[in-house]
Amino acid sequence: MKIIGITGGKGGTGKSTVATAVAVELARRGKKVLLCDMDADCPNDHLLLGIERKQACEVFQRIAKWGLDKCDNCGKCAKVCRNNAIVCVEGSAPMFMAKQCNGCGACVIECPRDAISWDEKVVGAIYKGSNFGIDLLSCELEINEPVSEIVVAKACEIIAADKGKYDHIIVDTAAGTHCDVIAALGVCDAALCITEPTPLGAHDLELICKLLSRMKIDFEIVVNRYETGRDKIVDAVVSKYRKAVFAKVPYSKKIMMDYSNAVPVKHKSIEKITAWIEGSA
Amino acid sequence: MKIVISSTGEDIKSDVDGRFGRCAYFLAVEVEDNKITNVACEKNKGAMQGQGAGIAAAQQVGNMKPDKIITGNLGPNASQVIKGLGIPVYQASGPVEDALTALADGKLAELTETVPSHFGMNK
Repeated sequence: MKIIGITGGKGGTGKSTVATAVAVELARRGKKVLLCDMDADCPNDHLLLGIERKQACEVFQRIAKWGLDKCDNCGKCAKVCRNNAIVCVEGSAPMFMAKQCNGCGACVIECPRDAISWDEKVVGAIYKGSNFGIDLLSCELEINEPVSEIVVAKACEIIAADKGKYDHIIVDTAAGTHCDVIAALGVCDAALCITEPTPLGAHDLELICKLLSRMKIDFEIVVNRYETGRDKIVDAVVSKYRKAVFAKVPYSKKIMMDYSNAVPVKHKSIEKITAWIEGSA
Repeated sequence: MKIVISSTGEDIKSDVDGRFGRCAYFLAVEVEDNKITNVACEKNKGAMQGQGAGIAAAQQVGNMKPDKIITGNLGPNASQVIKGLGIPVYQASGPVEDALTALADGKLAELTETVPSHFGMNK
């Protein structure tokens, strides 16, 4: 079984629309499907599938823990902290700003008196749900937490453990090429880049193509809202990495209506992508 | 008594910097019997920090060991550190020397409200 990533660089190109549509189509064909919504900052596959999610587990980030009884106010912890999470003023006990701490552990290593150990804080949660015969795994980051990758990494652990239960796993990534996207693509054997025929789509498509090439992940390119913009500028990027655009999803009123009503999109392009995923299994 | 002031310039003719974490300089002014006996200037190392500027600046000021601080506004992180150190903060604007006179005359209000995070960025 191959795990397929749905990504694309630019936001709003239709990654979730394609991911949910393909997951539903695979289920229709009698396959056991796990869809993973790895956009921890803005998860919405559950909305597109009419799923009311239930929390499966909380996600924790390690942070430093103070044991001031052993501390002699040497200040080495504050000097080594790149996030300014530790304040050490001569003559006073160090102050710990928990919100700034990213759990790097430099202070734990640096402290000569073993005064610092580990604690943890909740940074997000993983949710589960089902509909249309597919299981959904959904990441969500707490508001004001900066590191969505931690939640994505937890979901990746769950995927690795549950892998055997499914015929297909679809990993719907966030936009961009940052750590959270890299973590999600890290579990994928192949990927689809969903883009749109605009200068922004073409620019960000190139970024994600570079990332996938560097990660040595095979990929195909899908253009959504085809023939509504500047197809040629997207074609120029496609030709650098692939022979041709693999599938074209048109900009149709029917697709827009389905999307608005949380009805999984049906189109021959979705069937083509589904067949490709079945073939690569 | 030592007073540390966030300042836009290197001497007391300069204006009080409205920002704390991202101010340009900190002036350490020694005052005895209402007379200035010494002025020292430190560049704010916090100003160039990517994040946690207020914390870094508060640490720097804390190590200057002031009895009082004068600034324009204080963010939540800097405020937490300075409260932890127990140093009173007074709010002022305009030239530093005028702020010092106003403080001596008891005309400066203590700063109790904080401004939101990143208030002093790009200003």
